[in-house]
Amino acid sequence: MQPVRPLLKAIGAFPRSAVFTIGAFVLLGLLAPYIAPHDPNAQDLLIAGQGPTLAHPFGVDHLGRDTLSRLIVAARTSLVGVCLVLVCAHAIGIAIGTIAGYRRGWTDELLMRIVDVGQAIPSLIVSLAVIGIAGVSYWNMILALALAWWPGSARISRAVAVNTMNKPHMEALRVLGASPVRIYFVHLLPTTIGAVLVYATADAGAVALAIATLSFLGLGIQPPTPEWGQMLVDALPYLESDPRQVILPGLTLTLAVIGFNILGEAVALNRVPKPLTSRMLAARRRVTAFWAKEARP
Amino acid sequence: MSSEPILRVKDLTIDLLTAHTVVRPVDGVAYELSRRETLAIVGESGSGKTVTCFAPLGLMPVGVQADISGSILFDSRQLVGSDNETLRSLRGKSIGFIFQDPMSALNPARRVGRQIAEVAELHLGMTARAAETRALELIKMVGMSDPEIRLKQYPHELSGGLRQRVMIAIAIAAEPTLLVADEPTTALDVTVQAQILRLLKEIQSRMDMAMILITHDMGVVAGAADRVMVMYAGRHVETGPTERVLSQPQHPYTMGLIDAIPRKQDAIGSRFRGLPGIPPILGAPITGCAFMARCGYAVDACGERRPPFLPTAVPGVSAACPVLNIRAKECA
Amino acid sequence: MFAFIAKRARNAVLLLFLASVLCFALVVSAPGNVAILIAELRTPTATKADIAKVEEELGLNKPLLERYGFWLNGAIHGDFGISYKTGEAVGASLKSRLAVTATLVAGGAVVAFLLSLFVGFVGALWAHRAPDVVTRGSALLGASTPSFFVGALLVYAFSVTWHVFPTFGFAGPVSWVLPWLTLGFLPAAVLSRVVRVGFEEAMAKPYVLTAMSKGLSRTSILVRDAIPNIAPTYLNALGTQIGTMVVGAVVVEPLFAWQGIGDLFLTGVRFRDFMVVQACLLVFITFFIILNVVVDICITLTDPRLRLQRS
Repeated sequence: MQPVRPLLKAIGAFPRSAVFTIGAFVLLGLLAPYIAPHDPNAQDLLIAGQGPTLAHPFGVDHLGRDTLSRLIVAARTSLVGVCLVLVCAHAIGIAIGTIAGYRRGWTDELLMRIVDVGQAIPSLIVSLAVIGIAGVSYWNMILALALAWWPGSARISRAVAVNTMNKPHMEALRVLGASPVRIYFVHLLPTTIGAVLVYATADAGAVALAIATLSFLGLGIQPPTPEWGQMLVDALPYLESDPRQVILPGLTLTLAVIGFNILGEAVALNRVPKPLTSRMLAARRRVTAFWAKEARP
Repeated sequence: MSSEPILRVKDLTIDLLTAHTVVRPVDGVAYELSRRETLAIVGESGSGKTVTCFAPLGLMPVGVQADISGSILFDSRQLVGSDNETLRSLRGKSIGFIFQDPMSALNPARRVGRQIAEVAELHLGMTARAAETRALELIKMVGMSDPEIRLKQYPHELSGGLRQRVMIAIAIAAEPTLLVADEPTTALDVTVQAQILRLLKEIQSRMDMAMILITHDMGVVAGAADRVMVMYAGRHVETGPTERVLSQPQHPYTMGLIDAIPRKQDAIGSRFRGLPGIPPILGAPITGCAFMARCGYAVDACGERRPPFLPTAVPGVSAACPVLNIRAKECA
Repeated sequence: MFAFIAKRARNAVLLLFLASVLCFALVVSAPGNVAILIAELRTPTATKADIAKVEEELGLNKPLLERYGFWLNGAIHGDFGISYKTGEAVGASLKSRLAVTATLVAGGAVVAFLLSLFVGFVGALWAHRAPDVVTRGSALLGASTPSFFVGALLVYAFSVTWHVFPTFGFAGPVSWVLPWLTLGFLPAAVLSRVVRVGFEEAMAKPYVLTAMSKGLSRTSILVRDAIPNIAPTYLNALGTQIGTMVVGAVVVEPLFAWQGIGDLFLTGVRFRDFMVVQACLLVFITFFIILNVVVDICITLTDPRLRLQRS
């Protein structure tokens, strides 16, 4: 449970709007098959392109598939994809980062140079190159994105690992004769995983965007599996007659990503002091008003 | 020496409100300052010396709100309750400021010359070129060698002493009537400290300025100040002419401060004579004397109410101490 | 300073060499026999002799090092081989498409630059007040909206509904506006946050207190004291975003039916046209490496501390 605690603690301090949107996205993804009112892939060409009705509140697409159900099931596609990518990327990143931070010296130097190069190249081009060589498939997409995302994770893990190794209690452990295996697996790895989890959460939005972008380009999730980017590109030829089918998936995707971005901004701005809000000022002034009263008699 | 005071502070109380807490670092402070006079404000770190001078002029970092009450008359103008624009027009023009750490106080990404010249541009209505000439004059005035080269340099290319000289040049660029120097020598090497202090005194007399010298260094006080105000836990506990306060300290806290200075006759390896205990954590105002917990002379009366600030047996010296006040009355 | 540039240029050449090895290795290690692929492309009923002929023709039966040398020599002279799919010379395609992509990225970069500075400054000038809240909200929204959705919305609004700009095509400045906006929008949002956060951090620094003690107004402090301090960070982020925009061409070009390098790359990836993928990758990575050097030099010029350190 040790790695989870910092995440839970961090969630407590997250902006409420972020917690709400991310929570909605995750819940939707988990419960999608139970919430979706229709089979997302059931076609009914007779009603194709129809506007909202009671049975299909968001209308149907050009093949007569229920848009609401497809949007909901797409959340699951996205959530599963994001989780797989993050798990793979961070598995590679944490392994490399902690080894670099534990060993230091030339190992650290070499690994971090590789990470430098990896970080200098935009993630989309890395994933495109991998797919271009390995071919279009679901697992190739996951692999491609994981290969694009691990350097960031490695950098953070290394920083955390170096920090942890420099703490006095780690020195004490070493002096007491704890084996390297024990230090690495019992003390270093869990601490690093815990610290990286928060960053992973803030990064999930970018991964969700990348999955949607690859699917939009026809290189990610393939039809008929519903996915927001792929739904959008599917409906694009009908933009003029039925813009709803383009706007809805785009909007849903943006909403899902925005939660993660609010979180990222909150993490980035944590250290900068801000002027007090009027509510906080009032609260503080109630304290000083009490002092004045106390001092009078 | 003393004429009509240019600064008259009465019952100044400042509450600082932040996102996490609220403190009262200045609690009912009063003092006066005349033209050409130097007042040293002395106390341990956290005793409220800096806030006393900076907050009323609107100099607080982002995220700190200062609620100020009492009265500050500067040049017969009331500062408490003045709007930001009024305070801004005073800053730099009538009141110059010198900060403790010249490394962080100077902008690392701008040339030293520009940082000085912009004050002249703003307050003396000079053109950019005239201000540049003025900056050159000022650099010479604060005793920097190769002034033309210095103007074009960046702060990180200068030593600590030179940076503090640049800071002084900035503070006096518009010929203010009051100079507030917050620990101007603390961040400097011992050898440079005396030079900077001498320079400050020299400029003060040349420009007919009043000066507030915030410090915790009794050596600085003895060398530069006409009068001293000792602060403890946000309150002024003793004021008076420097030589009398230093030779005949009245308040037990002042005695402790002076006693804590290492002396030449101390045996090598002998223990430091520090004050026992630590200053109280600022928060709600303390009933009674704030120093009571650390005071060797304390009596029950000390804890009942805040001791009034009264003249002592030494002429010109006032202090806030019940024990002392009783003694003073007995003498009278 | 000159020595610093020379050193960076030397590093760049080294990186370019590594990149070329990587691109070459990618294709060599690709699954499937390239010769069979090409032979079957030419005649669906390719015999062993046909395959051997292709191998001979492309030099695939030679040792790796020789093949690499042959390929690199060609690449330097603009010869990137023949597309497996279309049979066209990849180098010629690249050359003819360069102008389109350059137009797109340059326009997008200008949009991102101007929009981000405007939005960032509005937020900083009215910090923590209504304009700041609005611009921050928009920036957050902008940074969360995928570019293909931005493009679709722009086309729907300006082409389908109001008929202001054409829906697609590369025909003069009027047709460039929507692709520029589409490409520049997300980077603008990201960069405006860099500006805003940079101001926020700069305004909390001790030198701002000094500036306040001089009697400067908040606006002059923003302009005189904060800008020189956030310029290096901003330039760095701008460089990263221009790099991202070059790859973003892969999304935007097909959306507006522009025949640029991004479109070529995407087609190459879709059909696993290795020669095209390899050539585009090399072009992109070369651009990133040069961009990195340029950004590094710009940062060194704007940051006096780095300038001292590096000269």
